[in-house]
Amino acid sequence: MDPVLEKDPSTETLSFLNKKVSRRDFMKFCTAMSALLALPASFAPRMAEALTNAKKPYLVWLEFQDCAGDTESLLRATKPTVAQIILDILSVDYHETIMAPAGFQAEKSLMDVVKNNKGKYFVVVEGSIPLKDGGVYCCIGGRSAVEIVREVCGNALATIAVGTCAAYGGIPAAQPNPTGAVGVKEAVPNATVINLPGCPMNVENLTACIVHYLTFGSLPLTDKLGRPYFAYGKRIHDNCERRAHFDAGQFVRRWGDEGHRRGWCLYEMGCKGPETFHNCPTIKWNEGTSWPVQAGHGCVGCAEPYFWDKMSPFYKRLPNPPGFGVESTADKVGAGLAVATAAGLLIHGIGRAIFEGKKEEKGGE
Amino acid sequence: MKEKRKKREVNELAKKIVIDPITRIEGHLRIEAKVEGGRVVDAWSSSTMFRGIELILKNRDPRDAWYFTQRI
Repeated sequence: MDPVLEKDPSTETLSFLNKKVSRRDFMKFCTAMSALLALPASFAPRMAEALTNAKKPYLVWLEFQDCAGDTESLLRATKPTVAQIILDILSVDYHETIMAPAGFQAEKSLMDVVKNNKGKYFVVVEGSIPLKDGGVYCCIGGRSAVEIVREVCGNALATIAVGTCAAYGGIPAAQPNPTGAVGVKEAVPNATVINLPGCPMNVENLTACIVHYLTFGSLPLTDKLGRPYFAYGKRIHDNCERRAHFDAGQFVRRWGDEGHRRGWCLYEMGCKGPETFHNCPTIKWNEGTSWPVQAGHGCVGCAEPYFWDKMSPFYKRLPNPPGFGVESTADKVGAGLAVATAAGLLIHGIGRAIFEGKKEEKGGE
Repeated sequence: MKEKRKKREVNELAKKIVIDPITRIEGHLRIEAKVEGGRVVDAWSSSTMFRGIELILKNRDPRDAWYFTQRI
């Protein structure tokens, strides 16, 4: 909380939240959220009203094959500070990293929400779900991740898959995918899932999704990959602050060279911004301080499915994608990538079949 | 005969406690503890999640390794 605002006696506080948030800060937050959601500024009062009268929705946060990076992102929701309050007005009944109960008491909290609020609660899933060998590679309270996710997400109002692992399998699903890891939608096809990929996801986007739901009673519109348009509708390359250098042919050729010191385009150094759709350049990270490209490192494409395989080696320059221009949309570039990925997977599949065949032969001997 | 009975009584008193999940940590952990007369006499810890980062790292560009291992 801003100490200056707390001391100022003229600052009106909003009693409905029982938190010391000035009306001015609250309206600033609503305006910022309207902008993030690509809504006209006139929506801010409507949003403020909706948030004032919102009923506290239940939310459970599940962690499977994760590194808690998205939890770290959540805990750093500082800009705007009211974002924390927005998360406070949710009833977060289960989150392994921050909850007080442990063991069977923890599991009871989760099952209470599932049983008593069927179809009325939100689930946030962090981490992928392993399917191989009966799902033994991730178990909580003696139950497999796949068993838990099917029950909890299957009975939820909606599931928000945060991070690329929960959305598309992420790092555990990188070749050779030792544990058969998949994203939530693949593990529970009948669930309502919205994907917020990124490594980690940006908490501003999670807040915006929840604000959207509280204001309009629905989740934001999504693309073919289940990602909300407001956050994943624009290509990094098109909003990049170094774009002018790309257009002028000014590229960094070696780390620390003249161009790198001057902040030129990182395309030659392997930047994946031209094939990545995310709002990093506009909302940035750490209270809007910076983002990878601003800090002098290329984008690795972390918001794209299977980026660990598709976008690596991370320091290798992208081949010139045909039909490259500002007019391309996520779906067009996605279609081109899908073909390339399908071919790659096919080769990978054949390779594996041969390899496995050999193994079997050996076993036979 | 007497000793055997004593042993059985002790065994009956021994309790096994399972705490799974351990919360407020980063990662997944299960603790099993054997308690006898109010003291933990044996304990087992298990990590209940596996991703195989080492297997995934194999044959990759070494310059990418930091980005993978950061996610452990």
